[in-house]
Amino acid sequence: MIQHLLHINHVSKHFGGNVAVSDISFSVDEKQIFGLIGPNGAGKTTLFNCISGFYPVTSGDIIFDNKTINNLRPDEVCHMGMARTWQRVKPLGSLTVLENVMIGAFSITSATREAEEIAIEQLGPVGLTDYAQKTAGSLSIGLKKKLELARVLATHPKMLLLDEICGGLNHTETETILGIIREVRNKGATIIFIEHDMKAVTAICDWIVVLNSGEKLAEGTPEEITENPEVIAAYLGGGHNA
Amino acid sequence: MKQITIIAFIAGFAALLPLAIGENPYFIGVLISVLMMAALSSAWNILGGYAGQYSFGHAAYFGAGAYTTMILISRFNINPLVSMVAGIIVACIIALITGSIVFRLRGHYFGLASIAVAEIVRLSALNFDFTGGAQGILLSDVSLWGLDLNSKLPFYYGMLLVLVITLGITLNLRKSKTGYYLQAIREDQDAAASLGINLSFYKNKALLISAALTSVLGSLYAVYIRFIDTTAVLDLRLSIEIILTAIIGGVGTLWGPVLGAVLLVPLAEMLRSNVLGDVLVKQGIVSENSGLGVFLKENLAHAHVLVYGIITVLCILYMPKGILGLFRRKK
Repeated sequence: MIQHLLHINHVSKHFGGNVAVSDISFSVDEKQIFGLIGPNGAGKTTLFNCISGFYPVTSGDIIFDNKTINNLRPDEVCHMGMARTWQRVKPLGSLTVLENVMIGAFSITSATREAEEIAIEQLGPVGLTDYAQKTAGSLSIGLKKKLELARVLATHPKMLLLDEICGGLNHTETETILGIIREVRNKGATIIFIEHDMKAVTAICDWIVVLNSGEKLAEGTPEEITENPEVIAAYLGGGHNA
Repeated sequence: MKQITIIAFIAGFAALLPLAIGENPYFIGVLISVLMMAALSSAWNILGGYAGQYSFGHAAYFGAGAYTTMILISRFNINPLVSMVAGIIVACIIALITGSIVFRLRGHYFGLASIAVAEIVRLSALNFDFTGGAQGILLSDVSLWGLDLNSKLPFYYGMLLVLVITLGITLNLRKSKTGYYLQAIREDQDAAASLGINLSFYKNKALLISAALTSVLGSLYAVYIRFIDTTAVLDLRLSIEIILTAIIGGVGTLWGPVLGAVLLVPLAEMLRSNVLGDVLVKQGIVSENSGLGVFLKENLAHAHVLVYGIITVLCILYMPKGILGLFRRKK
């Protein structure tokens, strides 16, 4: 059997009678950059919330690193080596950029000095070094997205869940972020990537799963997905223009 | 200058203050109230200011310390220091029960529950026999290490010591993992949880530290006054004064609560003892026999709660980060 880092096994999530995610299964291999795409309301973020421990699943299993993590709290999931970013950014507004990233680093060290060193290391690649002493709340949206990325990287995760990390960024900023993601993967991390920007997704992902109305519509390589008629219909013909 | 140096400097100044003003019991009494409120508000600030969990019922922990100490000394003749430790344990048990239930919930539930718990403690103390019911507990005699406990000085230095310890803990906390985690929880609980912070563990930790310090102050106060009842140590008004002192001084800052206490306690004292009215009359600004003079003489003494209220409203409108917030550099 192939070693999967993450295995989603028939996962469903209902809110009352509303089915947000319905019987989804897929596996993510180590060191993969894995794309999760779909129109608005397809259930991508809901699935992220289930995987990262914020929502309990209604049925099914989520297996990470050979352990079932369905019933773990978000902080326990983080300590297992899975870190997530937020589509609607959540900066710790009155703390400085450096302190924000230090809080991520505290999940792997208890020493303030060491957390600071790890945090400073993470600021460079995302281009936030000059902003280290600014309060996080004062940053622009683009910089806040970069802060989200630096903060989760400071937890030294095995797996990164990135929820529209490029949303609202311009072309150059997107390129920077994609570059960082590739580099993180080359260092051994696995990445799941939710994105609307098809260009970004096809440029970077090894494997893509398409969700539509809470169900899995298709999966395959970027080439297979872009040529799949059902996917094209969901994106262009279903009235959910992305 | 490093904060720790500032703490040492101010503590040294405060320690010498009684020598400078002589043993005037009235002034020492006011200073004890200032130190106590500064320490209470600083202890509250660890939970409310840093972790962002507003407790509206800190009187419960103050009362737990006060009652436990008084019962153990007056009924069982137990050493005051041992009674104080027992008070800490009782306060921590109340805190743990409250926290472990309520901290699972987000939002304002903790604030609401803290009022409910404080009221439960108050009503219990009012209705049980072993707490003296409505009559309270009177302590006729107490001794420790041959100190003159009829003098106010031991309590002045006791309060000062607890204040310095509280500020030391806050300072140490601020630059530690726990302190950063508490601030992360205050800023955004989802982000905090996703970065590996066990929310209820750290909230409970902050509550326990805060409750333990508050209970020590309750014990000190009880032995100092030698009489307690529910109005003196368990009243909602006390909880609110603690919060207002922190808000007016500056929530979530090291010195805010101290500044709040230094300004508000003497102000309340002046209003209560009608110093302000007397000054107005003596300066000839208001004639003693005029309508206004009579009105002030009769009513100004009751006005300190009103003045607190007005200051709070002004504070929230014009300086939501408190007096200290005005002086903080914007980054």
